[in-house]
Amino acid sequence: MGDLHHEGDPAASGTAVLSEPRDAPLVALIGPPNSGKTTLFNRLTGLRQKVANYPGVTVEKHVGRVQLGGERTVDLVDLPGVHGFSARTLDEKITRDVLEGRMPGLHPPDALVLIVDSTRLEAQLMLVEPVLELEVPTLLVLNMWDELTERGGAVDESALAERLGVEIVKTNARLGTGIEAVQAFLARAAVRAPSQTERTLTNVPGGVALPMMDAFAERRRRVRAVVEAAGFVPPRPSGFSERLDHLALHRIWGPLVFLAVVVLVFQSIFTWAVPLMDGVDALISGSGEWIATTLPESWFRSLLVDGVWAGVGSVVIFLPQILILFLFLGILEDSGYMARAAVIADRMMYRVGLQGRAFLPLLSGYACAVPAILAARTVDDERDRLATIFVTPFMTCSARLPVYALLIAAFIPDEPLLGPIMGQRAAVLLGLYGLGIVAAIGTAFLLKRTLLKAQAGSFLMELPPYRIPSLRSLGLRLLDRSKIFLRRAGRIIFAVTVVLWASTQFPRVDGGPPLIDDSLLGRTGQLIEPAIEPLGFDWRIGIGLVTSLAAREVIIGTLGTIYGVEDASDDSLDLMAALQRDLSTGAAIGLLIFFVFALQCMSTVAVMRRETAGWKWPILQFTYMLALAYAGAFIAVRIF
Amino acid sequence: MDLRLGDIPLRQTVELTHIDLPAEEMEPLLERGVLPGCRICPVRSSPSGDPIVSVDGSLLALRRETAACLCVRLLTALQDAS
Repeated sequence: MGDLHHEGDPAASGTAVLSEPRDAPLVALIGPPNSGKTTLFNRLTGLRQKVANYPGVTVEKHVGRVQLGGERTVDLVDLPGVHGFSARTLDEKITRDVLEGRMPGLHPPDALVLIVDSTRLEAQLMLVEPVLELEVPTLLVLNMWDELTERGGAVDESALAERLGVEIVKTNARLGTGIEAVQAFLARAAVRAPSQTERTLTNVPGGVALPMMDAFAERRRRVRAVVEAAGFVPPRPSGFSERLDHLALHRIWGPLVFLAVVVLVFQSIFTWAVPLMDGVDALISGSGEWIATTLPESWFRSLLVDGVWAGVGSVVIFLPQILILFLFLGILEDSGYMARAAVIADRMMYRVGLQGRAFLPLLSGYACAVPAILAARTVDDERDRLATIFVTPFMTCSARLPVYALLIAAFIPDEPLLGPIMGQRAAVLLGLYGLGIVAAIGTAFLLKRTLLKAQAGSFLMELPPYRIPSLRSLGLRLLDRSKIFLRRAGRIIFAVTVVLWASTQFPRVDGGPPLIDDSLLGRTGQLIEPAIEPLGFDWRIGIGLVTSLAAREVIIGTLGTIYGVEDASDDSLDLMAALQRDLSTGAAIGLLIFFVFALQCMSTVAVMRRETAGWKWPILQFTYMLALAYAGAFIAVRIF
Repeated sequence: MDLRLGDIPLRQTVELTHIDLPAEEMEPLLERGVLPGCRICPVRSSPSGDPIVSVDGSLLALRRETAACLCVRLLTALQDAS
């Protein structure tokens, strides 16, 4: 087998008897990470894309519709970036299942588009052989073509096309050059084929006949022969990237740049997002008041305003924060800096039993554990990924912040601690963040020595050339994130607030709502009071702890409702006064510590279950964190 | 005689001869073009002292523990002095 030859005449499968006429043909987009795959996907589909999860796992499935003029459309699925098909990581398994036509809900792809970074052509063509062996019409897209020629590289693409037996298109997906040629291929090749024959991807060439190392070396030799015959001249190294790396990976400057980036992300989440969040808050409370004055007094109005508006609103308010976080993460990732950050963080993470890639999810955890746990799938080692997921909820997410703010304002005096630099309140807040980090480190350390024991794993990170992120891709990603986040708020939080509201309304007394102490909610609280009494909490806090299982900040709204305070926002003086009356300072500190540790978040539990494919890890994690929280509060109330 | 990638000074290109790792850890390296016969060159070291190497026009960051498992040989005998 001298050439990577296959019989892929695109027209051959074009004599289609449409077995499922209602479906548009499906084309799969494959490529290594950082090859511009998603940029091309966004170019082709624009806003006509849907994000869903593959069944059973939380790897996102991006499917978009490509309009090809007239009535013709093609569905394009953007597969995760992979270097191979060994199914070692979740991403590789998904890619493999889709390509082999074994993914429920997706029929086998009718054509494939394989995109590679032209500047690293030789290495990236390692994917081409297993893909061509599938014998599906395939287009090879040489992306970043202009960068190859600018840096003095070259390849004869028609010779390459002939050698590989595949159609080739040169593109710059970021600028949109060459897109018409890709569309032309889709129009020609993507015809819904009748029943498909069995397809199998072989990652290791030569099966069991050869040791893996030799088999890969053989494939590598074939690829080299092909690119040499096509006159491939590799480009000069990018001077721009080299100069930036000199700074970003410098012994002293590197860690400083890293620290500056982390501070910038934090600053943006906690300072710049505030005016936007205030705006959303004003919008929600304004519209709530409008509904309250427009609708006549009824149980329905109470449900809508006190239940739904207040509850869902308390979560939607975090949207600006989450969007800003994702904007930054998007810029960091698309520019290529994230890979450098992971390299810098790796040694530190390795010491506590994690790895450099865990840095991104853990940083995201400061906004919200849900997207952070999703982000953990970039951690390629399964044990490392589980450990990362397990410790992520210890990062102080933004939902804890309103609770911290309320309790600190109510119980910690506004007095200087270190002169003008830091007051007692800031010190306590910092201490709570620190406590979370200590718990995460301790837990990771413990896990990697017990449940997730492993040999010293390897860490391998490709450092792509620095590139300017495309606004289009960033924008589409933010749109995606908002949809996912709002859907979550719409479902879970909605359900909880309705149940909570209802339990304050029953049993009815003379046809009206009961006093809060006599309501279903109040009675439940009194039932659990003995369990939390050792912590210095009364039944009201107990109810708050139960409802905050939905989302941590819900405790504020709940306490507000219970104390009968009209406006239960976190700076409400009445709520503070009521708390000061019912809680000792020790119990308040205990409550703060409880919130540092406890996994008071159903969304996190739900996403944990999906990401770990079962209840084992979420149950273990919930129990472990609850035990820590209880012990922490128990000790705190006796010390302070 | 048994030279490892970790012993190679910066900017010296060597040839990979063998990977002394279990299959599970070897496969990701192979997929990224780190295979016997390839030219590999440490181009810088990370702030924590881990190697960053150039292979096939790609930059790869490794741990020094991994670099210690990659057996290499010098391209010419003359360079043996280093």
